[in-house]
Amino acid sequence: MTLASITSEEARREAAADWLVRLAAPDLAEADLAAFDAWLADPANARAYDAALSVTLELQAAAPAVLDAISASPARRDRRPARGWLVAGGLAAAATLAIALTPTRLFAPATQAYVTDKAQHRTLTLADGSTVDLNAGSRLEVSLAGHERRVVMGQGEAVFDVAHDPARPFVIAAGDRTVRVVGTRFDVRRRDGQLSVSVERGMVEVEPADGAPGRGFRLHPGQRLDHLEGASDVKLTAIDPLQVEAWKTGRLIFRDQPLAQVVADLNQQFARPIALEDAALGQTRVSGVLVLDDEAAVIRRLALLAPIKALPSGDGVILRRDEAPKP
Amino acid sequence: MARSPAEPAAPDDPLLAVYLEKRATLVRFLAARAGSMAQAEDLAQDLYLKLAGRDRAAEVGAPTALLFRMALNLMVDRARGEARSAARDTAWREVARTQLGGVDVADEPAADEAVASAQRLRQLVAAVESLPPQAGRAFRLHKLEGLSHAETARAMGLSVKAVEKHVSAALRALAARLGR
Repeated sequence: MTLASITSEEARREAAADWLVRLAAPDLAEADLAAFDAWLADPANARAYDAALSVTLELQAAAPAVLDAISASPARRDRRPARGWLVAGGLAAAATLAIALTPTRLFAPATQAYVTDKAQHRTLTLADGSTVDLNAGSRLEVSLAGHERRVVMGQGEAVFDVAHDPARPFVIAAGDRTVRVVGTRFDVRRRDGQLSVSVERGMVEVEPADGAPGRGFRLHPGQRLDHLEGASDVKLTAIDPLQVEAWKTGRLIFRDQPLAQVVADLNQQFARPIALEDAALGQTRVSGVLVLDDEAAVIRRLALLAPIKALPSGDGVILRRDEAPKP
Repeated sequence: MARSPAEPAAPDDPLLAVYLEKRATLVRFLAARAGSMAQAEDLAQDLYLKLAGRDRAAEVGAPTALLFRMALNLMVDRARGEARSAARDTAWREVARTQLGGVDVADEPAADEAVASAQRLRQLVAAVESLPPQAGRAFRLHKLEGLSHAETARAMGLSVKAVEKHVSAALRALAARLGR
């Protein structure tokens, strides 16, 4: 290495450290980000930045342990005046948690069942701080034990936002598959023997339940697993993160899904039953977004996505193949 | 940096296209600000959802400038919502290892890694303790205890600019000593 290149490496490391500080400054402007982006265009700069960033993040991740070690070492007797609010903040958070936990812990039975009817959504906050958004027509049982948080999913669909607790894994039993979680947000759907797991963030493991055939899979954000109960295989696909919990915002997003599944989902949202005239029609693939406002309007929009027309039938609606070409 | 597979490779929306092109820059920025790769990835994902769900009609100006402005606003909103919780939040991530090159974030260390991390912790502590006093104190207050630049400056009786200089010197020394 020449003296000039050593000097430029040194300058790079200095610039990388300056950027790390600058990017955390409160008066950062969008022009700074543009300048940072331009600086990163040189791969050597990007490497220097990544090296400094990963060391900083490692130290920040280990901050409590590092601080403990430093305050325990006799060389550092100076008291840190700023530590006070940290401790106070921790205590306040612990106190809030205790208030939130106590009543549920005292009065909740060991296993609690939750059910939603048609056209009904429900948000549950579990005693461990996890939240579960239940879609319509769903049933699940929750038991929070000291060593494990366990949900048994009957029929239905729910978005789980799981509080991180490495000591107590969060396990969802869904038929012949088990979904194991560390701390994350994802959607589980189990209807009519068909299981889907879609991950929005974090990581989720789906493995065969005791005795069931097949192997386990680890899902990353933006991945979806589909499985037919009793089969040994699963299908993995990439999904739009918006799709994961679209039903919560009153939309259903379909990407190349059978019309039968779309109709099954709609039947959970509306009281008036929708039927398909024949099973073959149910295999038609559908892609699109449906805003779930009024049932008649939704069916009209569905008819633009698939070759169908809707006819009234008793107290419901029947979908029939429409042979006429769409405009 | 690897993209999450959920983000389409070639969207027809120019702002989403710029997002995908600048994603690595954004994650680097968000990580410096949020203090963890996992949070940076979450924030980048939040930003993507904001972009995908925004009202395109109201848009003016260059997409890159708009993207950076939205990224800054995201951090401002977040700072309002959970001021200074970052240092406390990192507690459970003590053992987490994140990788810059990939999206993998393992939450628990393998058994053999736990031994290695005890040794690594000693290296981290030694490196922080070997910093010059002012740089060491500025780094500790700002990066480890989660004080803002201004709070660190008040605690040390220095100007914000001087604090930034000390933190930068500390980062340079730590990166040189601990980088691998």
